[in-house]
Amino acid sequence: MRRIIAILLQNEAGALVRVAGLFSARGYNIDSLTVAATHDPAISRLTLVTSGDDAVIDQIVKQSRKLIDVLEIADLSRSDHLESELLIVKIGLAGLAAAEFDACMRRHPAACVVDQGAGSRVVQFSGTGRDVNAFFAELSNLAPVLELARSGTAAVGRGDVVLTPRT
Amino acid sequence: MNAVLEDPPETTGHPLAGAAMSGADVVVQVLADEGVEVVFGYSGGAILPVYDAVFRYNHEHPKADGAEPLPLIVPANEQGAGFMAQGYARASGRVGVALVTSGPGATNTVTPVRDAMADSIPIVVLCGQVPTGAIGTDAFQEAPISNIMAACAKHVFLVTDADRLEATLRTAFEIARTGRPGPVVVDIPKDIQNAELRFRGSGTLPLPGYRARLRAIDTATLDAARCAAFFDALGRARRPLIYAGGGVIAGDAAGALRDFARAFAMPVTTTLMGLGAVDTTEPLSLQMLGMHGTAFANYAVEDCDFLIAVGARFDDRVAGVPQAFAGGARYIAHFDVDPAEIDKVKRADWHHLGNLARALDTLRIYGLQHGFRPREQDRYAPWHAHLAALKRTHAMNYDRASAQIQPYAVIEAINAITRGRAIISTGVGQHQMWAAQYFDFREPRLWLTSGSMGTMGFGLPAAIGAQFARRDLPVIDIDGDASIRMNLGELETVTTYGLPIKVVVLNNAGDGMVRQWQKLFFKGRFSATDKSLHKKDFVRAAQADGFEWARRLADPAELPAVIAEFVAFDGPAFLEVVIDPDAGVYPMVGPGMTYAQMITGDFIASRQAQPAAVEAGPSEMF
Repeated sequence: MRRIIAILLQNEAGALVRVAGLFSARGYNIDSLTVAATHDPAISRLTLVTSGDDAVIDQIVKQSRKLIDVLEIADLSRSDHLESELLIVKIGLAGLAAAEFDACMRRHPAACVVDQGAGSRVVQFSGTGRDVNAFFAELSNLAPVLELARSGTAAVGRGDVVLTPRT
Repeated sequence: MNAVLEDPPETTGHPLAGAAMSGADVVVQVLADEGVEVVFGYSGGAILPVYDAVFRYNHEHPKADGAEPLPLIVPANEQGAGFMAQGYARASGRVGVALVTSGPGATNTVTPVRDAMADSIPIVVLCGQVPTGAIGTDAFQEAPISNIMAACAKHVFLVTDADRLEATLRTAFEIARTGRPGPVVVDIPKDIQNAELRFRGSGTLPLPGYRARLRAIDTATLDAARCAAFFDALGRARRPLIYAGGGVIAGDAAGALRDFARAFAMPVTTTLMGLGAVDTTEPLSLQMLGMHGTAFANYAVEDCDFLIAVGARFDDRVAGVPQAFAGGARYIAHFDVDPAEIDKVKRADWHHLGNLARALDTLRIYGLQHGFRPREQDRYAPWHAHLAALKRTHAMNYDRASAQIQPYAVIEAINAITRGRAIISTGVGQHQMWAAQYFDFREPRLWLTSGSMGTMGFGLPAAIGAQFARRDLPVIDIDGDASIRMNLGELETVTTYGLPIKVVVLNNAGDGMVRQWQKLFFKGRFSATDKSLHKKDFVRAAQADGFEWARRLADPAELPAVIAEFVAFDGPAFLEVVIDPDAGVYPMVGPGMTYAQMITGDFIASRQAQPAAVEAGPSEMF
């Protein structure tokens, strides 16, 4: 089962290596991983998408929580949450079904063309992983895909619940 | 962020607060402040400033008797230094310290660091590193220690800012000793060692997440409702059993465990790591359980209806088949300090996360105050009688009529002299299990063995470290001919420092435990485990390393006299014993087997029909 784990991490040398290393050492898979500093530059937030049954996820959370740099960790998929992922695709103009492409872009307000070259365009899209998959499937039918970059999932819990470091 | 907790120097109360020091001097001063009384290490280019600072510190601060306050004990190999630090830590409960250079010096400590992690032993390894500007340039003796150790240690610091060095060192000790103890590595670039600093005398790094979690565990108490739930379930049990692990030793909870077991007349079996948590000579001690546990302990696990796990983690050497382990137990209670151990292998019906000693004391007092007095009521009399019968019927035994020296007899002969009051260290393999089975262990911290990692070569350097922790106790390394080869260079370390360590090599000409598995599971194909053609003369090797007392014992008739002389010798002594190469370790619960499938061998009674030898199920067995 797909799970989204959020980790607040002290922004220390090697902290990310220790989280990623724990996952590989214990045989947990990482489907996607995003990391960036938060509004507090001393704290990074990792969002990890992984999968496993309840017992596996319980161990992932507990073992990760033992890392010294980990300030807080939560399984966001246990409750209502928002998630988003960024997709950037470079498509070739040769072979582009122009009319259908324009229609596709109109159907997806979250998509926009962010760059245009002599023989290519760059399309950006954000949404849930499922939205990204659906949009990309549609797009790749209309144009030759030259290059693709996906960010991995970022997520927060819905409502007033806030993941804060324990003090 | 990462700001050191800034105390104005004048308020820290440290007599040296505000003093100008090099980074290296700061390292040594923090070691002194932490109460470190011995440092195990090997010098080298990238750690030279710290070695120089230790030299100067020792010169300037002689103890009243003229001795050095921070003696440097130099091993043959940095792996030895790491295991010496571990031996010191295991025997004393204090943090052991190893000091090594960059690159190979540091990578040689990977094995003891991982070993310390696996057995929850508090050590701090300080490594030199190439100067900050050279990191990442493939410099001479450079290795990515923070990456390598991140996978092995409880924590690793790469000091990138000289101003944080002092707080980092203090924090390393704190992390090593608190919570579930473990190894902490501090990687210190040479320019940081040479930096001109101002000593603060106090302050640690902020670790808000770690400290908050620690506080939650440290302050956790058992309220009346939880106590009531525990005794409510226990009140329905007739055959309770305590299963105690290394956490009892690490948590200094042996006293509380003994009080608890005594108050409620409860039998106790321990893991390999838990030996010494209770006095194994007591009638209600069942000694060790598990793969090579006593038959009576393993039968008791099968027969119990209430299992109390204390500081134990149901590992694969104990609960090889978790669902079948303690299959008759209707209730499992689990005490630990590590939340990740709860429900990891075996689901607990009741658990408590917190200080073990306090929890056991709270429960004991609650039980007594609420009229739970099984001892007075003779509540467990049938269970005790059953266990006594198990101990009689399925007692440990071996071929006492053999014409060859039996390893068990060697252990028994030493034990007859030391009687559970000596420090015993071991390598890994058959001799390790024989020592665990046939020695008495009357107190915690007398049994030093590489339990989880199973590192051959552990015994000799661990014995050296332990002797520095306990000058008052005899230290005996029970080793195997294969294990001792791994760190044989440390024989010289024993004599260099004049340590009265007794080294026993039970020589069965090969890797006995692996041969036992090959015999059982690979039809006797002894691939790469027979050393009968090897040329090593152990006695001459020991003599060459300065052992005045070094003997080879091959005649069973001489055993008692030679053992007596060996143990009594005033100084380092080395004894090679030529043992029956076919001696096996029994009982044995094979890998992936249940306790019901335990093989007890030819000399210990089994209560089941003995299964025939099994052909390898190659991939799953370990």
